[in-house]
Formats: sequence, structure tokens, C-alpha cells
Amino acid sequence: MVKSIFIIILGFLLIILLGIVLYSFYQYYTLFNSLFIKLVFGLILGFTTLVVFRYMLLLFFSILQTIKKSAEETYTIDYTKKMPKISVIVPAYNEEVTIATSLASLLKQTYPYFEILVIDDGSKDRTSLIAKRFEFENQKKSLKVYRKKNGGKSRAINYGIKRATGELIFVMDADSKLSPDALYLLARHFEDLDTAAVAGSVYVSNRNNIITKLQALEYIEGLNMVRNGQAFLKAVNIIPGPIGMFRKSALEDVGLYDHDTFAEDCDVTLKLITKGYKIDFEPEALAYTEAPENLLDLIKQRYRWTRGILQAIKKHSKLLWNFRINKTASFVMWYMIFESIIWPVADVYVNIFVVYQSLVLGMSMFVFYWWSIFTILDMAGALYCVLITGESLSLVFYAVYYRLFFIEIINIAKILSSLEEFFGIQMSWGKLERKGNL
Amino acid sequence: MNIVGFLSMLILIITIITIAFGIIAYFMYKAREAKRKRAQKSITYEEALKNENTTYLFFE
Repeated sequence: MVKSIFIIILGFLLIILLGIVLYSFYQYYTLFNSLFIKLVFGLILGFTTLVVFRYMLLLFFSILQTIKKSAEETYTIDYTKKMPKISVIVPAYNEEVTIATSLASLLKQTYPYFEILVIDDGSKDRTSLIAKRFEFENQKKSLKVYRKKNGGKSRAINYGIKRATGELIFVMDADSKLSPDALYLLARHFEDLDTAAVAGSVYVSNRNNIITKLQALEYIEGLNMVRNGQAFLKAVNIIPGPIGMFRKSALEDVGLYDHDTFAEDCDVTLKLITKGYKIDFEPEALAYTEAPENLLDLIKQRYRWTRGILQAIKKHSKLLWNFRINKTASFVMWYMIFESIIWPVADVYVNIFVVYQSLVLGMSMFVFYWWSIFTILDMAGALYCVLITGESLSLVFYAVYYRLFFIEIINIAKILSSLEEFFGIQMSWGKLERKGNL
Repeated sequence: MNIVGFLSMLILIITIITIAFGIIAYFMYKAREAKRKRAQKSITYEEALKNENTTYLFFE
């Protein structure tokens, strides 16, 4: 209670501070005499307004979604009611370090009726041997391990779907573990027959250094809060690899997963949105994943994400101008373009501009205002997330480093990866080595 | 001392270092991946014959 009051007061103070900084930032515009600088600065002002507006809107939608959810009845498992069978598909490639923890978390699920299909995608280590130790079968639950020739994650998932007997398909990464009620919390969303998929929240499990702690902040604020906001419009744009549930018939309707992008989760979500299905989000269904522990591995992960998302955008590019036919799909596509191209380019561009402006014109105050605006926004967002998720308050203070180092380095990697994608430079999946800190 | 001026200078220096570091880190990642790829690259029997400049290869 004391913590909640403290967070709310701090949130209000931050909003007042943001107002003061924004006012000073806009006042700064009058100081310039050069038309060129005025023009560039005007663009930056416009862009900053757009980003602040987007952030506030997402936060607002997220708050509305949380209020809407808290107004709903509290669910308890009704064992007398017919529960749909869930087929859990765990595609795995060289996951000997983490597979046992993942499967153990699946076996602890409170949901009464599911089968687990582990698809070993031609691993060169002991993944299938370890998974086989967990094999069992009874009337309501079972676990079976399949081994196939290496063909990529999307083919492994499709292999599982073809063998699945459940009405709902749950896909999880073999390097993640779930909260015990995750399956149940996700499954209840399918009472709405228009819902084709539901995403869960992803948290970082290995918070053992500054890089993983910054990713923890990014996951709760940049990914989970954003998805919660998108869920208000039933237009979540990516069902994350560690935790996502699908209606099997909807997946079959869109032709299952395709193999032509490196972001199969984004691609399949876009295919479902295109068909007019609703995509929802369940913030209380949790998956814990092992985040990259060093900078080069983090860049490797983001390289694949960026290029994969760009491939998916390119593949579905016809949806961009499809507002009349499918507003949601067009909105989602433009949002993704903003996140993956416009925002990184603009952020790095502004930083280079402020460096130039500070060194040439001696007006370094501008960099302070720019950084303050986004750091305050990050802190306010983090406070809100801490309040609703019960996460550690210490994460809020990482927002200072988050804006100073983390986002900048990630955005530079995104821009360089985008250039590689633009020039069609060949890429491979880029499997990360796991340490087993699940 | 003007605290805002000091912070501005500090953030400016960090921004310059971060931009440079971000670019260096990306190319370090590319170099590491290229090195790993070279190390993992398998060769065919014919290529091995060519490398060894022989007509037979014996495996122990």
C-alpha cells in the first residue's frame, strides 16, 4: 500500500516535471536565428510531439485495458465445464541447457487437459534425450518427443500442429518457463469466437548484470505495456515466441506458419490480422526467458528481430494502404514501420544533430532537454508497470541508463541491420548460446 | 556551478561516446559472427582432396 502511494505520487511529480521540460524544450525554438537550424529543429519538435503522443496514448490504452480487466469477474477453474484440449508445441534446437526447466514448468500447469509435443529440430546436442525423460501419457495429459531433420523453427511448429489433437495450440520456446496458471489464463480468452490468438507477458529471468536488467525494463515497459495498450484495440502486433496461444482452426485458415521470414511469430500474427481475427493479450500469463547476457549477443538477437520484422513488413506491404478494407491491419503495419524504421533513424539523427549543434553553436542544453523528456517518459512508464505487475521498484531507476546507452546502441544496430536487409545481404538464424539461467 | 549546464555537457559526452561505441559494437558483432562461421564451415571431400593436393584421404 505504501509502495503504491509512493509510486502514484512519484508518477504525478514526473508528469509535472515532464510538462516543465517540454515547455522549456519548445521555448528553445525561439532562440535560433538560422533558417536551416529552425527547420531542422522544427522537424525534431514535431517528431518529439509525435513520440510523446504515441507514448501517452499507449499508456492511456494500457490503463484503460487494466481497468477493464479488473472490472471483469475473477475467474476460477470450473472443472465441471468442458475445457478445450490444448496442444502445447515446444520447438527445440540445441536446447539441452534449458529444456528440462521448460518442460518442468509445463508439467506444473493448473490447466487440466493438454498434450505436450516437443519437436526436436535436428539438434546436435542431448535435447531430445533430456526431453524423452519427461515422456508420459495418461487420460488427460501427455508428453511426447518428436525428432525431425533440421528445417527451422516455423517448420518445426507446423510439424507439431499437424500432429496436434487439441482445439487450441500453445507455442512456447524451449528456453522459457511458464507461470503455473499461464495456459488457463490464456485459454479463457478463446470464449470469444473471433479471437484467434492471445499473447502473454514475457519477463527476463536472468537479471544478473546491467544488460539483462535493462532488458528487464525494456520487456515490462517497451513490450508488455505496449501489448497491453494494443490489446485495448484487439490488435496486438506480435505473439511472442515464449508464450502465445492460437485457435487451431484460425492457424489452418491462414495456412499455418510460413518459412520465408526470420520473424515467423510476427508473420503469422499479421496473417491472422489480415484475415480479420482479433489478437488479444493476457498480462497475467507469464513466461520467463533467458535474455542475452552480453552486448554482442544482444545485438545478434536484435539483428534477427529487425531483419525478420522488415521481411514480414515487406511481405505484407500491400496492407499499408488498405485502410478502407482492413483498418486494423493497416494501423498495425504503420505502427511496425514506426517502431522498426522511423523511430531508430529519427533517434540517432537527433542525437547526431544535437552533437553537431552543441559543438558548432555551443548550445548543449538541447541535449539535456531531449534526454530528459524521454527519460521522464520511461520512468513514468516503468512506474506504471511496476505498480500493476509488482515488479521491483529498482527497475525504474535503470531508466536513466536505458535512454543514455541502451536504446541508442539498439537503435544503431537496428539501422545497420535495416541497411543490410535493404541491400539483401544473406543472413542465418543466429542461435544464441544459453547459459541455463532460467 | 550551473547544474543544468554541467549535466548537458555530461550527457553530450556520453552521447558521442555511445554513438561511436554503438557503431563499433555492431561491427565487432559482425566480425565475431564471420569468424565463427569460418571456424564452423565444413568442406566437401573433393575440397579436402584439393587442399591436401592428393588423390586419397585416410581417416583415423
